[in-house]
Amino acid sequence: MIALDDVSKCYPNGAYALRDLDLRIETGEFAFLVGSSGAGKSTLIRLLVRDELPTTGRVRVDGADVAKLKGSAVSKLRQRVGVVFQDFKLLPQRTVAENVEFALLVTGHTGRKEAEAAEHALSLVGLAHRRHHFPRELSGGEQQRTAIARALVSHPRLVIADEPTGNLDPVTSWEIIKLLVRVNELGTTLVIATHNADIVNALRRRVIHLDHGRIVRDEREGQYAA
Amino acid sequence: MRRLAFVVAAAWQGFWRNPAMSVASTLTVALMLVLATFFAITNRGLQQAVALLEQKVELVLYLEDSARPTEILALKSRIEADPAVQSVAFISKEQAIERLRQATERSRDLALGELDNNPLPASLEVKLARAQEAGRLASTLRREEGLGVVSEIVDNPAVVDNLLTITRVLSIGGIAVLVMMLLVTLFVIVNTIRIAVTARRDEIEIMRLVGASDRLIRWPFILEGMLVGAFGAVLALTAIGAGAPAVADALTQFAGIVPLDFSPVFLAQLGGAVFGFALLVGAAGAGWSVRAHLTA
Ligand SMILES: Nc1ncnc2c1ncn2[C@@H]1O[C@H](COP(=O)(O)OP(=O)(O)O)[C@@H](O)[C@H]1O
Ligand SMILES: [Mg+2]
Repeated sequence: MIALDDVSKCYPNGAYALRDLDLRIETGEFAFLVGSSGAGKSTLIRLLVRDELPTTGRVRVDGADVAKLKGSAVSKLRQRVGVVFQDFKLLPQRTVAENVEFALLVTGHTGRKEAEAAEHALSLVGLAHRRHHFPRELSGGEQQRTAIARALVSHPRLVIADEPTGNLDPVTSWEIIKLLVRVNELGTTLVIATHNADIVNALRRRVIHLDHGRIVRDEREGQYAA
Repeated sequence: MRRLAFVVAAAWQGFWRNPAMSVASTLTVALMLVLATFFAITNRGLQQAVALLEQKVELVLYLEDSARPTEILALKSRIEADPAVQSVAFISKEQAIERLRQATERSRDLALGELDNNPLPASLEVKLARAQEAGRLASTLRREEGLGVVSEIVDNPAVVDNLLTITRVLSIGGIAVLVMMLLVTLFVIVNTIRIAVTARRDEIEIMRLVGASDRLIRWPFILEGMLVGAFGAVLALTAIGAGAPAVADALTQFAGIVPLDFSPVFLAQLGGAVFGFALLVGAAGAGWSVRAHLTA
């Protein structure tokens, strides 16, 4: 699903965020990306959705070399990869249902089947009863679940979450993580960048540890710290 | 279909999200269009006046009574060979006096008595195809004076010369003003759209995130620019419709010869041109802005 070969990323200001990365994540896997702030987790995620291009090396997602994608192929890639962020990134003027449908609307998927897909995604995250509410009327956890529903609505093969629980209290964080585990169990590959040691330690999943842009640890059933 | 609705709605909301800025750029567009229209109409009127006068422009070569017909014919065909010349007519002494008779019959106080001999010379009347060339041709032909065939050359293209100068100055000045106005308008539209892009930054980020095409991200802004153009055109055409009769009256009184054409066909063409130009300027300004401020 994800294959990085000798990837480095240097930002225009000369700062190296990633160095000589080799990484494979197979279809259906559930992987944590850990490391202190500035280790390069977000940069890696930006490479996976082609928000940035690698300075050297090759990034392949779902078989495609992201650097070689042109125009609409980039859009197609992003439609196949759902992304969730710490700050939710919801549209405040749109309701929960509209926020989820927005992902379909702006990618040209606007049939009755898609309305059902939105409905389905909302019930999967347990928010069907909130569909007509606006983001400001929701708790943080509900907002994040809306964002997850939006990420899922186009049936992505890969979901990437960048510190999805960073703004949430411990109980709500657990609910969100359990939701993501369920998404993984339904067959979607999951990559989660996180600072939350309790969750990483409790789940005992694959842990990829970044430090100063290098992978310093990659364990099957890892802990947050070595 | 729903994507089209999305683009239109986004453009419309974009326009009204920052009304002060949108109204300012709409007014700028309207002002530019009014100026452009005024310029176009005036220029057209002047050009028609020039064309009208051009038909009347003549050089007259008065001939010596002693000139031989072969010499006159040779001169005539030499003049006809010049590309600026439309036609050359020979007026004999008899035709000249006949013309004078007809002219004086109409005004009685200038009654012409019987004349012993004909004092009027024969002449060649040169009609020009291009009035601008009158001066050059006259000075060339002046070399024929005193060589035994041509006694005197009369040219009176001063009026045309003046009008041509006015037209040229007006064209250059008008185009300079219009280009400046166009740049100002583009600048204002570019900034309006830049602000609109900034206002929708979050939405654009999400659209990228979920895989919306660049076209869908850009079109609302292009359409917003065209909306500014369209509103500007409506405003300008309303102002022109309200002010045109008064201006036309004033112009006709000021210079009776300027034939201002306000036929429905011309007005329709003018309206269409103003509208099309406004849309083009709006789209161009917005496209420029989007290119500069929306690069991924
Ligand atoms: N857009 C950017 N321009 C320049 N440097 C950046 C940019 N984004 C991140 N960096 C730098 O790259 C390094 C890795 O950052 P990031 O990937 O955000 O780390 P993390 O998500 O693990 O905190 C940091 O040193 C950061 O300052
Ligand atoms: Mg980060």
